[in-house]
Amino acid sequence: MELKEKILKELETVIDPELGLNIVDLGLIYEINIDEQNNVDIKMTLTTPGCPLHDSITSGARYVLEAMEEVNDVNVQLVWEPAWSPDRMTKRAKEWLGA
Amino acid sequence: MNMMPGLSKTETNIKLPFSFIIYSLLAFSASQIILFFSGDFMTNGTFRIPPLWMVAHLLLLGWALMVAMGAMYQLVPVAFLTPIWNEKFGFIQFVITAVGITSFALSLAFSPNLTMITGILTLLGILMFLFQMAMTMKKQADKNILTLFVGSALGSLLLTISLGILLAASVSGALPLTNHIAILKTHIVLGVVGWFSLLIFGFSYKMVPMFSLAHGFSMKLSKPIYILYILGLFLTILSFWLNQTYLFQLGMVLLFVSFTLFVWHIKRIIKKRLKKNLDKPFIFSLIAIVIGWVIHLSAMVSSFIAISSVLYGAIIYLYILGWIVFSIMGYLYKIVPFLWWTHKYSKEMGKPNVPTLKQLMNEKLGMLLFTLCLISYLGFIISFSFQLTNLYTIVQSLFAITILVFSSTVVNILRK
Repeated sequence: MELKEKILKELETVIDPELGLNIVDLGLIYEINIDEQNNVDIKMTLTTPGCPLHDSITSGARYVLEAMEEVNDVNVQLVWEPAWSPDRMTKRAKEWLGA
Repeated sequence: MNMMPGLSKTETNIKLPFSFIIYSLLAFSASQIILFFSGDFMTNGTFRIPPLWMVAHLLLLGWALMVAMGAMYQLVPVAFLTPIWNEKFGFIQFVITAVGITSFALSLAFSPNLTMITGILTLLGILMFLFQMAMTMKKQADKNILTLFVGSALGSLLLTISLGILLAASVSGALPLTNHIAILKTHIVLGVVGWFSLLIFGFSYKMVPMFSLAHGFSMKLSKPIYILYILGLFLTILSFWLNQTYLFQLGMVLLFVSFTLFVWHIKRIIKKRLKKNLDKPFIFSLIAIVIGWVIHLSAMVSSFIAISSVLYGAIIYLYILGWIVFSIMGYLYKIVPFLWWTHKYSKEMGKPNVPTLKQLMNEKLGMLLFTLCLISYLGFIISFSFQLTNLYTIVQSLFAITILVFSSTVVNILRK
């Protein structure tokens, strides 16, 4: 499995505690950049600006990636543009919410 | 791509909102126990007596105001994307306000001559809160309609307590007031309609989309809702001073029209939700909005027919209970697990066996408690309407037990 796929798999273990959905299915991960030294840079967002869980979710993402043997440094950036929208969710996530 | 600077520093020290919340639950429970012994007075509309002054202020200041303050210490950073100005100041404010409110409530019942001193202490605590909020909200980068609602609510609170101090001075004998009744009515309306309703409107606009994951809705309607509500409030208050019934009626009509628009707007936001199954505590808060609408309708209709002050007193009590108290209870049942989860588990995110928020709250018990609240509410309506003291006492005992269980359930979340 490619490193990017493995990273996405690990990020699926980070669950939004309010919605019970992982941040990948929610469509919160915008970009995953990996350089030659396997340093990882993640750009992600949240469903609501000001969400009180922003620290927890970004720390959770950082934690699971830092635990990966193949990964060196991890940088997680929280961005608000483009704004999150429901069409970023996977079909599975929409079904879970009943949308 | 746009980073929001300083966002990671907006979260409040959890002990601050929790201090207010725990105090408020104690005050809430105490007020309901005292009300159990007040059946005769409540059903006969004898509200203006020392024991019920104490209860009114334990309920409105001790419970509703303190829990609103605690919630705002948590929610203002979320809604306005700016950290609390000074947390240490917040803790000092908590102590002063808690001591002030407790002593003020007790002095109303047992030592009216001390109400001036205890009232000033309460006033100091509330002024400190207003200062804290002003310093916090002025840092908000982009002001919006929520700023207007919450800012106006805080302005109403300032006016309410200023009038409250005048009333306390009058009760303590320090200052005879010739227009005591106009001041009292203005104090009540500014407090329950101005402060609490505007605050709930404002924060509903943040929390309803958040808890329902609503997306793609318009906020255009919020501006006319705000304007009509403020105008209605102003005309109602003006009617007390000019003694003009038509102004009062017009005020009631505008408040009702605005509230109706608010209900419709919230309905449209909920319709745009992605989360189909809403949490039960949140549904309870939505039911409170419907109750608020019915009470606004009742108040408007009552303004056109000759009703007694006893009935107006009952309407105000039912307004406070069904709209303000029930809204707060519903949101609190969601906010407290959220706060506790953030404090205890946020650093564990990504690790195995981290509970979800649903696992921290007992939703089945919550449903039972909310159902009992609604049953009690109907019981209160019947007992007030037909002045049935025995029924009131039975209903109040059920409600008091429900509130005690609600309070201990909320506090128990902190043990998980």
